[in-house]
Amino acid sequence: MRRESSESPQKRIVNTKYRIIFIGICVILMTSAIYIIGESLQQEQQGAELKAPATGDIPSIPVEAGVFRRSEQALTYANAPENNKNPRTLDTFYDLRAYPGAPPVIPHELINEQSYGGKSCLPCHENGGYVPRFNAYAPVTPHPEMINCRQCHVAVKTKDTFKESNWVTIIPPPINQEAMTGSPPPIPHGLQMRENCLACHAGPAAPTEIRTSHPERINCRQCHALNDKPTTAWTRNTSY
Amino acid sequence: MNRREFLKQMAAVTAMTAAATMFPGILFAEDQNKTLPNDDLTWKKAPCRFCGVGCGLLIGLSGGRAVAVKGDPASPVNKGLCCVKGYHSVMALYGADRLKTAYVRKNGELVPTPIKEALDLVAQKMQETIKTHGKDSVAMYGSGQWTIPDGYVASKLMKGAIGTNNLEANARLCMASAVTGFISTFGIDEPMGCYEDIDHADVFVLWGNNMAEMHPVLFSRILDQRLKRKDVKIIDLATRTTRTSMAADKSILFLPQSDLALANAICYEILRNGWENKSFIEKHCHFKSGKTNIGYGVEDKFAFKDENTDITFDQYKKFLEDYTPEKVEQISGVSAKDIRYLASLYGDPNRKVTSFWCMGMNQHTRGTWINNLVYNIHLLVGKISTPGNSPFSLTGQPSACGTVREVGTLTHKLPHGVVMNEEARKKAAKIWKVPVENIPPKPSLHTVEMFRALDRGEVKFMWIQVTNPMVTIPKLNRYREGAQKAGRFIVVSDVYPTPTTDIADVILPSAMWIEREGMFGNSERRTQHFEKMVDPPGEAMSDTWQIIEVARRMGFQELFPWDEATHIEEIWKEYTQFHAGEKHGMAPYEVLKERPGVMWPFVNGKETKWRFNAETDPAAKDGDPFKFYGKPDGKAWILARPYEPPAEEPDDEYPFWLNTGRVLEHWHTGSMTRRIPVLHKAMPHSYVELNPEDAKELGIRNGENVLLTSRRGKITLPASINERGVPPRGQVFVPFFDENLLINELTLDAFCPISKQPDYKKCAVKVQKALKSES
Repeated sequence: MRRESSESPQKRIVNTKYRIIFIGICVILMTSAIYIIGESLQQEQQGAELKAPATGDIPSIPVEAGVFRRSEQALTYANAPENNKNPRTLDTFYDLRAYPGAPPVIPHELINEQSYGGKSCLPCHENGGYVPRFNAYAPVTPHPEMINCRQCHVAVKTKDTFKESNWVTIIPPPINQEAMTGSPPPIPHGLQMRENCLACHAGPAAPTEIRTSHPERINCRQCHALNDKPTTAWTRNTSY
Repeated sequence: MNRREFLKQMAAVTAMTAAATMFPGILFAEDQNKTLPNDDLTWKKAPCRFCGVGCGLLIGLSGGRAVAVKGDPASPVNKGLCCVKGYHSVMALYGADRLKTAYVRKNGELVPTPIKEALDLVAQKMQETIKTHGKDSVAMYGSGQWTIPDGYVASKLMKGAIGTNNLEANARLCMASAVTGFISTFGIDEPMGCYEDIDHADVFVLWGNNMAEMHPVLFSRILDQRLKRKDVKIIDLATRTTRTSMAADKSILFLPQSDLALANAICYEILRNGWENKSFIEKHCHFKSGKTNIGYGVEDKFAFKDENTDITFDQYKKFLEDYTPEKVEQISGVSAKDIRYLASLYGDPNRKVTSFWCMGMNQHTRGTWINNLVYNIHLLVGKISTPGNSPFSLTGQPSACGTVREVGTLTHKLPHGVVMNEEARKKAAKIWKVPVENIPPKPSLHTVEMFRALDRGEVKFMWIQVTNPMVTIPKLNRYREGAQKAGRFIVVSDVYPTPTTDIADVILPSAMWIEREGMFGNSERRTQHFEKMVDPPGEAMSDTWQIIEVARRMGFQELFPWDEATHIEEIWKEYTQFHAGEKHGMAPYEVLKERPGVMWPFVNGKETKWRFNAETDPAAKDGDPFKFYGKPDGKAWILARPYEPPAEEPDDEYPFWLNTGRVLEHWHTGSMTRRIPVLHKAMPHSYVELNPEDAKELGIRNGENVLLTSRRGKITLPASINERGVPPRGQVFVPFFDENLLINELTLDAFCPISKQPDYKKCAVKVQKALKSES
């Protein structure tokens, strides 16, 4: 207070002058900053438009199209937390399926009974992550573009059966079928609608037995060969 | 392992992975180590047996057998990561039908024969043939899978001892255009850069190169960089949509052969925008033109020699006026916008650009030209010979560079220089200790012409090693019939029965890969040594030693005096005399044994990573700042090469393009990989990829049999629709690995007149749904 009162009126005017100049400079700087940022953003946008991958031009390849999907998140996967509390296992994975390769049932209460799927399912199942409501990490769908989820995935409303069934499931494809000690295990299952490896094999929701240790190696099929069906040896008639 | 241990291991692995992702590079072997038992396995280093990437492997040995493979973390090539072929490579040693004994054809039947007798017969037949029909009636046809010592003794025997230039290798079918591209532009062969370019480049342009399948480990290095660095872009320039297209940031499809126009259009745009590096061009480049309308070599005894004349920069600019983006859009089907985009990537001074290519550009009737044209782009903008700025020609075989290009197992080549050059002949004669007159000064037969000469009867004796031409030669029907004509004598050295051993008069069983000592040289000028780790089966013998045995039987003992225990070391010492000096010095044997590969030029104990650059290459130290010392005045050539149409184009009768190639799981003709169960199960047979729209019109569904017919042959094979790759409308693709479905009976033997490399990527076929009787 004392200091302020000791300032002369003249000084105050000088201060005000400085303030006006200072504010003026700020305004000029901000305007130019806005202009420069705006300009560069615009350029970036133009660049982005020019550089956008022409995915529309690429004809679809159902078996291959999804191989690299989610790969941009590979590093997130690599650094994802362990799911030690409530890990999914292959047992629980197959419990939800009538046979290996069948669409899994919905094991939890429905978010919206009226919904066909889409926005009811994808918020959790498109990218996964921890869901407090179910105290679990959500499994990731390998085919998020198919949004009519409940066409194939149905709820479990009762444990009873209408009549007993003689249905016998097949044994799930064995895992860890490495040809040699330490060589990469082949892919024991078909890839139709499951061509995106990272969806099921990476992240905290992946069953521990089949969770990859190296999600950042995104060209999975470089090392893991598809061995999903019995094949006969190729024939050659060597006469000697 | 119980659950607790498992979880513990998972936690450790995850922690390790998290650490690994913080560092550049690949770092993978530690991860794999967790799952490998440490007990009683001995690990020894070897380069992979398969492709030209040349991954470093560690082979796990136990009880005298190879039992496991891991990536060598010390190898700068793959840093511990392999592909599925590499991980299972050692299983190729143990196919049940390995050739363990020699066979000799008696009364039409191949009869097991002691190898000594078989070698006697080979030497005797070779001598008799030379005596009756002259030196040029015998020929040797080897491979880019030959080890360096194999190729070296073959060259010494054929060119130095016998005195014929009838020495060729299957690498003629694979990288001859890369060589003539290098020679015409730079005057010296092999890439200036190295794989480390991947760690520096911002943009990767893949010219007709399905790297995700064909060079998967290098592709993983690129993907790794894209994850870890901002703004890394992968552009897939191709004629069909592949796994590489799916991973790329942008996929651009062009019509077959139009890459020539596309490359010129990029140059046009660079100059139009003033993006060229003027001082680089002035200091380091000449503008040249060559002959045009150069033909396709489809006729026997076709001959061609290019002649280059100086042109001015303005003349070059004028030449490019035919290649405006709008004009090239018409030729290539690539939009002018995409052409400008490509040019802007090359032209942007703030982006480092690496171009990769392999068979798409090399197996091309204008293969030399398209190699020249991509160099033109890099030279115009001065993006060359510096980290990340690299026009990079990849190879397909483990030692296409090491053996065929560096040892020079081609008709016109010597281990140093060409046969036409007197100094080169003198040098070879001196090191080989043979009279200089022994080495003929004229090249004789390149591969296609060699098989034509066999058919015509001028070549009567051919020794084929480590390759399977009865699957791989184009227009196969003619050359198979020719090889089986009366009066021809065919010797085949191999490890398994193949369609080529089927037609042999003598089969020699070979020791393969780690069953003997040897060296391979990969695409980045890296020479890798491997020792003998396991015994070969039965009487199997290394290709080097087979040649030495035959040479000795022919009376050339003095030229091949080495002891069996040390011959590889002694051959290396003799061979490296050819390359002494700072342009191509090779590492000494002891250094090779120690390290996971050494790059040449190896000068004063140091590898040269980037050639022609004064800072990194001792041979260019007086460069300003570059010196393309392959040319007498140190300047590289920018060659004006036009677009010319392919040898055969689809027409009303044969309306589809046929493209052929490889798949990830099989290597070349599958003689090794088809005997590895996990690979066979993944890819049991060949197929024809159809465009879904074409298939619909033809009423063909996935898996149904399709009859393909060309002017040269026909074949029935199952359709693959919307599976691994998708060709555009009007094109089909067939892999060539399947000896039961020989697609090369349909291909055309047209070749690049300069490189003499055939074009397996373009010919015309008819596509029909197969009738039941044909399936």
